[in-house]
Amino acid sequence: MGKVDLTPSPATSSRPEGHLENVDPSSGAASMPRLGPLEWARWGWRQLTSMRTALLLLLLLALGAIPGSLVPQRTADPNGVTQYFTANPATAKILDTFQFFDVYTSVWFSAIYLLLFVSLIGCVIPRTRHHWRALSQPPPQTPSRLSRLPAYEKHDIAAGEGDATRSTLLIDAERLLKKLRYRVQRCDDPATSGTSSSIAAEKGYLRETGNLIFHMSLIGVLATILIGGSFQYTGQRVVVEGQTFVNTRSAYDSFKAGRLFSDGMLDPYSLTLNKFAVTYSQSGMKALGMVTDYNATVTTDQANRQTRSTIKVNDPLGVGGETVYLLGNGYAPQITVRNPKGVVVFNDTIPFLPQDANLTSLGVVKIPDGLSRQVGMIGFFYPTQTKQSTGLPASVYPDLLNPVLSLNVFTGDLGINSGAAKSVYVLDTSRMTPIAGRGTSEKALQLTPGERVPLPNGFGSVEMTGVKRFASFQVTHDPTQTWMLLFSLLIWGGLSAGLFVPRRRVWVRITDNGHGGWVVEYAGLARGDDPRLQSIIEALARQHRTASNIATIQEPK
Amino acid sequence: MMGRLIGVGTLSTAIVLLLSLSGCTSTLTPGVGPSPSDPRYVTNGAVTEIAPADRGKAVTLAGTLDTGEEITAGEWTGKVVVANFWYAGCGPCRAEARDLEAVYTKYQSQGVIFVGVNVRDQAATAKTFAEEFGITYPTFLDVDSGAQQLAFAGKIAPNAVPTTVVIDKKGRVASRILGQLESQSILQTLIRDALAEGS
Repeated sequence: MGKVDLTPSPATSSRPEGHLENVDPSSGAASMPRLGPLEWARWGWRQLTSMRTALLLLLLLALGAIPGSLVPQRTADPNGVTQYFTANPATAKILDTFQFFDVYTSVWFSAIYLLLFVSLIGCVIPRTRHHWRALSQPPPQTPSRLSRLPAYEKHDIAAGEGDATRSTLLIDAERLLKKLRYRVQRCDDPATSGTSSSIAAEKGYLRETGNLIFHMSLIGVLATILIGGSFQYTGQRVVVEGQTFVNTRSAYDSFKAGRLFSDGMLDPYSLTLNKFAVTYSQSGMKALGMVTDYNATVTTDQANRQTRSTIKVNDPLGVGGETVYLLGNGYAPQITVRNPKGVVVFNDTIPFLPQDANLTSLGVVKIPDGLSRQVGMIGFFYPTQTKQSTGLPASVYPDLLNPVLSLNVFTGDLGINSGAAKSVYVLDTSRMTPIAGRGTSEKALQLTPGERVPLPNGFGSVEMTGVKRFASFQVTHDPTQTWMLLFSLLIWGGLSAGLFVPRRRVWVRITDNGHGGWVVEYAGLARGDDPRLQSIIEALARQHRTASNIATIQEPK
Repeated sequence: MMGRLIGVGTLSTAIVLLLSLSGCTSTLTPGVGPSPSDPRYVTNGAVTEIAPADRGKAVTLAGTLDTGEEITAGEWTGKVVVANFWYAGCGPCRAEARDLEAVYTKYQSQGVIFVGVNVRDQAATAKTFAEEFGITYPTFLDVDSGAQQLAFAGKIAPNAVPTTVVIDKKGRVASRILGQLESQSILQTLIRDALAEGS
């Protein structure tokens, strides 16, 4: 990083044609200085911290993130990865070699963002240091030949024209530039042996400030993702009406957390679902049955303080540093199972997971104890059941107009006695025999609320005592949100300043013309492309003449 | 001209970058049951012991047991309490049930309290389980109120089902076994340690 170079680059094309540079082509290799390890390191550092490399790395980072959304990721979708391995074993093996299933933690992705990190920091630090120096220093001295600058005006003022003197002209120019919010510095060029004085002015430091803020915020975004991301966590939990979720790791149905998460970070609180209300549209054939509102009434208990609140879709609840979103809902039939003697051996509300918009729901009931053998039931719950033309039942309305529970029954070994953990939503029938429903001569059990039906073979009976609703909640803790917003705003702000604030240097020089009059020169130089530069210099000259009461406009010679 | 071009290029790249990175954090599997690989089902006992000086505040155990007995806060102070978090359909809970009962039978006479905290079942289901496995100690039915789980939430929470927690005579968590009890002797050792401490 050199100093900010505002001078026009020397035009190499101005060299005469056929001109030979100092390099002798025949001994080209010899003229290249041999690089020692230190020089190589310095060269590497300069390459790494160059704008081009930073841009390339940014692009690579964006490209590198693409496979992360095309290929299932172990952290987000472990089942998807397993499926991928089963479906395409050969491809999966190759992809796994290149860590495509763990893109965001892979060696190559880490390498890109770490290099980008270093590159940005290596670029920003010297630039900041230089900008800081520029801010505390006066504008650079007036160049000796202003006429060579891209914007230039020259005015002759004859003796006696107005009542101007060199010092009043100078004071007027200075005042004018200050009013235009330039930083101003008076220069007396000793080379002209006292016959001229000048003013150097500069404005638009905000451009570089904005640029630096943009780069720093980019580093900030990366740091937020790296550091903040490892503290974030998200979990999901199904809660039936009247039941309570307690914020401990074991209470979540599924849970995903960043690298630096520990169980102790979960704030102790409980959340009871008092009631889950769904409002359906009753008007219009097309909108009939469409949900107009979901409303979960909950009570949270934190540090012995109980608070009643509601959670709606897109209207989450903040509790214990976490945000609780309403994610889904469904029905949980209340099922009571009795043994042949009529003693209740099982009683539970079981969430059935919705399969379609009319809440045809699939669920599993496991009765591990109290009957002569373990019983497993799997089946559908229809909130409003009708027979389709195919003869198959279906739900035609999401509310409870004609609720029917249909269950296939298995007996045998549920596979949980050996100590193996099984999902409560999956029935492993590998060591079970069907006794009712598909695969048997018996019909599947059909239950309406309050109805009790016997299990085949004198096993006992099943009753659907009622139907409750459940809500599924998503609990997230994302410490990055605020920082992300802050840095994103700073990125936009910094970028706007860096793009739209022009940085200009302006000089005004007043020279005695030897006949009691003066030559006033105005010159401007901009950083980057600035189409308005010439008109700004012209306006400056005009305003300066007006300020100094030099009415007659003379054509510049 | 160059400066502006680079700026615009950087801008678009930055947007792509932000979008793609935020994309990677929002992937979620819609919530259904725990998978077998779920870390909260620790199948081999992970034991945490806490030195008396490092133990947190006393855990307030209070509420109605499945036997109908009312437990008031502080009722068990001065006694070593073993709390076991369970539910009937949980495989590891079933596997360790008889071991827990055996340890309870052994230490009952020394005033050790055993109590279950059922996190999922209603009364009938829990009772049938107790009959099936010959469990003679009482249990809190905690699925509706969550009160007992909340009492333990925080630093030394029951982060798996099953979890067995030993509470010292001052009512503080002295040790915790995450997951299925590997052997009776581990729990016996933890109980003996807690009994040996002064009240």
